Amino acid sequence: MTVSFKFDSLQYLDTDGAVVFEPLPEWANDAAILIPLYRTMVETRAFDAKAVALQRTGQLGTYASSLGQEAIGVATASVMTADDVLLPTYREYGAQFWRGTTMAEILLYWGGDERGSDYAGPRGDFPISVPIATHACHAVGVAYAMKLRQQPHAAVCFVGDGATSKGDFYEAINAAGVWRLPVVFVVTNNQWAISVPVSKQTAAETLAHKSVAAGIAGRRVDGNDCLAMKQAATEAIDNARNGRGPTLLEALTYRMSDHTTADDASRYRSAEEVDAHRLQDPIDRLRRYMESRGLWADAEEQELHDATAQRVEQQVKVYLDTPAPAPQTMFDHLYATLPRAFDAQRQAVIEEK
Amino acid sequence: MKIFKLPDLGEGLQEAEIVEWQVQVGDSVGADQPLVTVETDKAVVDVPAPRSGQIAKLYAAVGEIVEVGKPLVEFTDGDDVRSDAGTVVGSVEAGDARIAEKPAALARGKTGIKATPAVRALARRLDVDLTIVSPSGRDSVITKADVERVAKRLAELGPPELLRGPRRTMAQKMAQARSEVAPATIVDDADIHDWAVDTNHTVRLVRAIEAGCVAEPSLNAWFDGYSLGRRLLQKIDVAIAVDTTDGLFVPVLRDVGNRDDDDLRRGLETLKADARARRIPPAEMRAYTITLSNFGMIGGRYAAPVVVPPTVAILGAGRVRDAVVAVDGAATVRRIMPLSLTFDHRAVTGGEAGRFLAAAIESLESS
Amino acid sequence: MPEVTLVEAVNTALARAMGTDENVVVLGEDVGVNGGVFRATAGLQERFGEARVIDTPLAENLIAGTAVGMAAHGLKPIAEIQFMGFIYPALDQLLSHASRLRTRTRGRLTCPLVLRAPFGGGIHAPEHHSESTEALFAHIPGLRVVIPSSPARAYGLLLASIHDPDPVVFLEPKRIYRIVKQDVADDGHALPLDVCFVLRSGTDVTLVTWGAMTHETIQAADALSSAGISAEVIDVATIKPLDIETILESVEKTGRCVIVHEAARSGGWGAEISAQIMERGLLSLLAPVQRVTGYDTVMPLFRLEDRYMPSVDRIVQAAHATLGFE
Repeated sequence: MTVSFKFDSLQYLDTDGAVVFEPLPEWANDAAILIPLYRTMVETRAFDAKAVALQRTGQLGTYASSLGQEAIGVATASVMTADDVLLPTYREYGAQFWRGTTMAEILLYWGGDERGSDYAGPRGDFPISVPIATHACHAVGVAYAMKLRQQPHAAVCFVGDGATSKGDFYEAINAAGVWRLPVVFVVTNNQWAISVPVSKQTAAETLAHKSVAAGIAGRRVDGNDCLAMKQAATEAIDNARNGRGPTLLEALTYRMSDHTTADDASRYRSAEEVDAHRLQDPIDRLRRYMESRGLWADAEEQELHDATAQRVEQQVKVYLDTPAPAPQTMFDHLYATLPRAFDAQRQAVIEEK
Repeated sequence: MKIFKLPDLGEGLQEAEIVEWQVQVGDSVGADQPLVTVETDKAVVDVPAPRSGQIAKLYAAVGEIVEVGKPLVEFTDGDDVRSDAGTVVGSVEAGDARIAEKPAALARGKTGIKATPAVRALARRLDVDLTIVSPSGRDSVITKADVERVAKRLAELGPPELLRGPRRTMAQKMAQARSEVAPATIVDDADIHDWAVDTNHTVRLVRAIEAGCVAEPSLNAWFDGYSLGRRLLQKIDVAIAVDTTDGLFVPVLRDVGNRDDDDLRRGLETLKADARARRIPPAEMRAYTITLSNFGMIGGRYAAPVVVPPTVAILGAGRVRDAVVAVDGAATVRRIMPLSLTFDHRAVTGGEAGRFLAAAIESLESS
Repeated sequence: MPEVTLVEAVNTALARAMGTDENVVVLGEDVGVNGGVFRATAGLQERFGEARVIDTPLAENLIAGTAVGMAAHGLKPIAEIQFMGFIYPALDQLLSHASRLRTRTRGRLTCPLVLRAPFGGGIHAPEHHSESTEALFAHIPGLRVVIPSSPARAYGLLLASIHDPDPVVFLEPKRIYRIVKQDVADDGHALPLDVCFVLRSGTDVTLVTWGAMTHETIQAADALSSAGISAEVIDVATIKPLDIETILESVEKTGRCVIVHEAARSGGWGAEISAQIMERGLLSLLAPVQRVTGYDTVMPLFRLEDRYMPSVDRIVQAAHATLGFE
């Protein structure tokens, strides 16, 4: 006997921003909801371009671009409260900016400075996570704490398509399921794990299918459709918050950039393929929709463009003006109080010229 | 990159019209600096420079339409082949240096004194020179007890007398000679039976040295062991070893080749008197070219006296004695002066030394 | 005052910590209903409930990773790994995250977790159940590694580890889980971390050890004493950060040191202690520092276990070697 599961992908807007599925969510006509989403996506993209430029001019270390994926993080974060906890990978700047992490902080991180992860804004959010999927287990722990305290909060954990092959991921969704935890796993399926396409990553029909193995809710959504993303995230986070358990939310998108600034994606994928996905740009799509509803116009676009450029410049300046920390600070925060055993080493660092 | 193409301006726009160039050919631009203002269907936008560099060419004029992806600006340098970084994080530096390694083996060092650091520290504290300590430990290791034993012995003996003056100089010079010179010695006898009773032995010996130097100038030389060079010297300045209660003095009899016997004799008297009175200035004990050691006045027959660098030879004369020798096939008693010539074999050959000695003996044996 | 075994002392400490602070939770395989395969967590779930004493799915990486998340979000998790032999999937979470969460966020997020695991050989267990790889963890910057050697120290050091605001790997020598009883008052009193404990005073040779080997080492000290040799015995307890000062003070006096550990010789923690003694106590040494250790082989199955583990004899011989050096 074979059993098959079907996961439809939620989509409201097509690539031109025209409505292809109804009914739309009730807030879909609310400029007060839509414009902040749009603005944050635009800021994220402008920041992203600037970060790449900084790396190319030797002013930033390796950087992982989020180009083309802005809607997923921004829309999801727009559903979260200050008490929820975000556990990102390294392409969720949109979500992080929405929640108060600054561009300068992200630049400091990629610029090789730990202070970049000491977020002044969202004090409980996890920092960028590099060892793939390991933070999925952290999300389980965070969510467990929330449930134990009976708080109506949620942990939102972003992973990529490659991460869903990893043991940490399976262990995490399994535990989240058996403990019925308030956690949402947003799987950003951007089709590529460095050079490995999703087709080589798994035989599962979709990544959402992995939810079945864990016994948790699974959902698919067009990750470049901001409205659909926000709606799917709302349902998932709502369920989590209210004791209805975790969700694995697969958001479909495309990694428009190289894996990192040191990667050259042309080695393993064609320019034509990348170009074709330009049509699915999330920012264009939301703008066209807003324009069609009379909620946005050229004047606002120009204003946003200018304001964004200014903001990015200001934040870059903050970053570039931050001097490197004193070398002995590598001993700071190693423990709550540096044990005596390491005093001599610390002193040696101070004395070294 | 060398050629910058019109980038994607968003919104599916495929072309733009040049409104105004912000740079000219030859300009140097910085990254992000506005290159050109273009107009699309939607807006007028500035296109920033993707990199710093110098403008080599502008591909369109004001008013012309450029398609997205077509050349806009060319830089003077760069290439359009995106080189493979060969990493996905950080930057892995590539270098052009070629290395050719030859296998090496461990260096052969000298095996020194075996003692643990604690024992060494103890020796330092007790002021014991480890080189004089006989090890009693397994594998010739100096033990703590060894150091303490020697320290006790030295304490009983009292502090060493520190050498001063001529004794100190002698210790230093002899150590230097030992470490540098390759000495070899030839000995022989001179028959001085026919000398007049009042013959001044030292003067005759000086003359003998002069004769030797004339016959073999290579023994009147200075040798530089570091550059492996020698200087053959014209003047013969003979250092005369003088024994005193304070130690060995070696004043110099200058330019013996140009002085007559009386002059030499007077000079020697002065030297000896001055030496005994400690009146010889240091300058007069330096810069000699060859040495005479008339130790026979005290005792001894043959010797291998020490050659002090930079000289290369020293002639030693032992005690004159009556000996039975063969003359014309018959045993007879003659007055014999034993001679020892030590030379620095780095600079002097055996043949040269032999001929020197033969000439010296011939001089001594002449009337 | 109750006389308890080491594992009972662990249990008492856990109960005290959970009773004092509602943020303390225990998680691991079989820790709840079963009370832990060594009964270290016996009775806790009955007392504190399923929500705080959690039977986890079978996934060591998950256990450690969940503990990291819990700790970062305000709980004080005490994770149990059933045997050190199964701890290695958790190494990633310890090394990549627990040990560095505080420093990489400049103190914004911290990781006050305790990861407990029974370790060491000597119980004739099947394969993989006799590991001593404390050196792997001691090598990780930002981690603490604590190893008790008695019921009293198990109680006091575990409480200290739970109270500590940084991650602690607490390795319990299972061979001595039940071998002795000791008076341990359940007074909530923690022992100091980062210090050695002097178990016996002596003047002729310093014996340094930790964990179950303290028993053999004390026996060796007794044997030496009968031969007129006075041995000082030091229990390191906190492997890292190491209290080298106490060890140096002892070696300065005795001039001789023997380090005893069950773990394999090369790269074992004895090498670090020996290096530090060499760096700072060289001139006090009258003989090279000796290490009496497990061999550089895979821990053999139990038929040869007794030949692998350092014996009282080997320790005594090593002490004699230092005395007979000169």
